[in-house]
Amino acid sequence: MQNVTVLYSDETDRKGWNEAFRGMSHVMTVTAENGLTGVLEGLRAMRENLRVAVISSRLYPYPHPGLVGLLRELNPDLEVLLISREACAPPLKPLLEDRIRHLCILPGQEGVHEDRLPAVIDMLLKQRGWDISCCLKEGTVLHSYRLSSSDDKEDLIAKLEELLSGEGEEMELLRQKGALLADELLENAMYDAPRSGCGDRLFSKGERRSMLPREDIVFSFGFDGETLSLALTDNWGSLDPDEVLEYLTRNEEDVLDCGDPGGRGLFIVWRFLDRFHVAVTPGHLTRVGGQLHLRSTLTPEAPRGFHIMNGCEEVAA
Amino acid sequence: MNLANYVSNGEDCFILEGIIDAHAEDALKEIPKKVKHPVARFDFSLAGRINSMGIALILRCFKEISDKAEIRIEGLNQTHSMLFKMTGVFLLAAPVKAPVGRKEGTA
Repeated sequence: MQNVTVLYSDETDRKGWNEAFRGMSHVMTVTAENGLTGVLEGLRAMRENLRVAVISSRLYPYPHPGLVGLLRELNPDLEVLLISREACAPPLKPLLEDRIRHLCILPGQEGVHEDRLPAVIDMLLKQRGWDISCCLKEGTVLHSYRLSSSDDKEDLIAKLEELLSGEGEEMELLRQKGALLADELLENAMYDAPRSGCGDRLFSKGERRSMLPREDIVFSFGFDGETLSLALTDNWGSLDPDEVLEYLTRNEEDVLDCGDPGGRGLFIVWRFLDRFHVAVTPGHLTRVGGQLHLRSTLTPEAPRGFHIMNGCEEVAA
Repeated sequence: MNLANYVSNGEDCFILEGIIDAHAEDALKEIPKKVKHPVARFDFSLAGRINSMGIALILRCFKEISDKAEIRIEGLNQTHSMLFKMTGVFLLAAPVKAPVGRKEGTA
């Protein structure tokens, strides 16, 4: 059964992604060189089974800015994944407007990191949150710590730094980035996640606090010698998936905001990770994290993808 | 965060030491009042982690100073540089290579 469709601008575009979708039998590919009418007609027939639409950035936002709206008319629950090469990464604003929560940016060279796409599509089909061990070598030890008070923050960062001990410039940079990522994730969970019934923050940044009786904040990380994977899970589930993309867009566009544009911490996390994941089960759980490679070639200003899952069936512990 | 400041060659010099986060608010708020010369130099070589709250405070501080003095920063590690670039700090303050002389007096 074909429940995934991949939309390309033309044959050349399609050929450029051939390798990435090789062996995926449940994928139907269409090209829009003759306009969208025929494409949408073709998809109408499979609308009930259609779960994921993958769109090439050669097709969206231009020349077809209304494409996602038309696809969602076919199936309102459709998950949309935009795929792009680094050189033609899309601006974030149209994605925010169209509520596209999945963006994969792959290097210009065909074949590099393209094994990622089947895993991403599988994640979308299963509506399963991301698992921190998925990009680590088999047997890598995962470390998990439950917070009891804000005083734990520096100890946990020190534990992460200890795991990343080692000589050399690359290691030093990974240690610095890891410590900053941990800081931002922990601050977000301790001060941004806890909300009152009407959505007000319960605690101020930097305030010394103990976890509330039923509050559960867990910081997990693992390092396999090359990849650092880390995640922060809280049981507030108060992060609005639309808000995440709004924060990323706002911080990217409005670089010089001397007030607090909101979400600067998340923006930094996004920019410092190679892969950024957010999974939210509203009112129950938020998990933010991702992976960073020791020899990451991505500069912080290089285009980045993201995966923001809402209402996950399951988030791996 | 600990702050030391002194005047050298007609420039206001500030040395920031330790983690720059929400707890640095009081110290960073005081800095603009101390700038009396046309150039304000900031040495980050003793600074540790700077998180998003620290960035917000630095931006606020630099914005206030930029109305009356040129801001020069030095001693940044790689992570500080990346962070400053992506959050717009470099739009208010220019990085310079020359090392600042260690403190000749304190605040």
